[in-house]
Amino acid sequence: MAAPVQARKTVEFFYDVLSPYTWLAFEVMCRYQQKWNIDLKLRPFFLAGIMKGADNRPPAMVPAKGQYMTKDVLMLTDMYKVPFNWPSNPTEVMFVKGSVNAGRFLTAVDMSCEQYLEELTRQLFLRIYYRDEDITEPASLLSAAMKAGIPEDLAKQLLSTIKDQTVKDRLRETTQTALDYGAFGSPTIVAHVDGKPKMFFGSDRFELMAHMLGEKWHGPLPELAKAKI
Amino acid sequence: MADADKKVIELFYDTISPYSWIAFEVLCRYRSRWNIDLRLRPFSLAAVVTETGNSPPGRVPAKLKWMGKDLMRQAYFYKIPFRGRKDPNNDMANKHNINVMLLLTAVTMDCPQHLESLTRELWLRFWSREEDITQPASLEAAATAAGIPADQTAALLAKLQDETVKARLTETTQEALRHGAFGAPTIVAHVGGKPHMYWGSDRFLLIADVLGEEWQGPLTELAHL
Repeated sequence: MAAPVQARKTVEFFYDVLSPYTWLAFEVMCRYQQKWNIDLKLRPFFLAGIMKGADNRPPAMVPAKGQYMTKDVLMLTDMYKVPFNWPSNPTEVMFVKGSVNAGRFLTAVDMSCEQYLEELTRQLFLRIYYRDEDITEPASLLSAAMKAGIPEDLAKQLLSTIKDQTVKDRLRETTQTALDYGAFGSPTIVAHVDGKPKMFFGSDRFELMAHMLGEKWHGPLPELAKAKI
Repeated sequence: MADADKKVIELFYDTISPYSWIAFEVLCRYRSRWNIDLRLRPFSLAAVVTETGNSPPGRVPAKLKWMGKDLMRQAYFYKIPFRGRKDPNNDMANKHNINVMLLLTAVTMDCPQHLESLTRELWLRFWSREEDITQPASLEAAATAAGIPADQTAALLAKLQDETVKARLTETTQEALRHGAFGAPTIVAHVGGKPHMYWGSDRFLLIADVLGEEWQGPLTELAHL
């Protein structure tokens, strides 16, 4: 008799595309979908809502920490083969323009055609953190959607729903779910092991996560990089 | 292998910092695997936090809760007997003080061969056995357990408030700040004549890379504890 196949472990990836470390974690998790016996569920949330709900502050408010993180992100993205460039005005991108429309659009796609969610997420990261392009205007979101392979009609239709109550509610719910898991930032990764949720914050707990999932960490697997530039 | 080939790695640490304990044990284990010259640099985290306008991470309740779990998982993964404290925020504010770091500084100056074992003993007292480390008798007990002879211990305790010791602690802390430190642990790897600074105990892949070495996991078989 064949050995029973182990059920895939669900790993929820709560994220906001405003966060550079989140892009790192996103690419690593996408690469490990093939290697680990996991069912990766992308959960777009709203980082500003997380910060408010957890009474947290963005880390770069400490100048020396901000300077360190600027270099840290470049070193990590280089090693992990994620094509990252700092935008010319990161403060404006992160704190003025924000991500509410992007978050709602990702949510609308998640609700209707989640098969495009991974690539749409990637295209939004490439806009904001590779090409220093806008992610707030409808035209920007449409461009990302089409690069993600979403048919134009469908993309326009989904874009028209981003102010619908159902979409706003769903983004709010996902954000609250993350807060209920103990989230205080992005990314928040929840691995379900033996019926228990194990929450991880950040992009630097993969070796530990592997250990808890009963899997092996092979490093960032740059050879499996999907972000095409 | 010639010592001149070894790459210098400085670990700036404060025993109030549990993540510094992880970095400390990992680097001690990697001395036998990587071609490094590990220099332990006790500094004052409180001074670094104040000077950089930083704040302790435990200010955010959800973050404090997560850190408690994170540290227990890491302790298990790295085989370090960290057990936490019932009231970490309160204890870090009230049950640890600068005398601990002044003692480690005095040891650095007078008998550096005991620095590693005393550092470990202080972490065990504070973060594993929830014992006092503020009273002179506690510091004496730690020094004894670390293998420091009685007369040396007495001499060290007698000079904690000397200007030379305070100045040395301040200098070490300033050096870390010049490297861009804002927290603990702060690791500085000197490669090709350049200092490379890393914060935290979760950048060993990057550190291995800059050293031209390989990360071989937690090396629990080399655990000192």
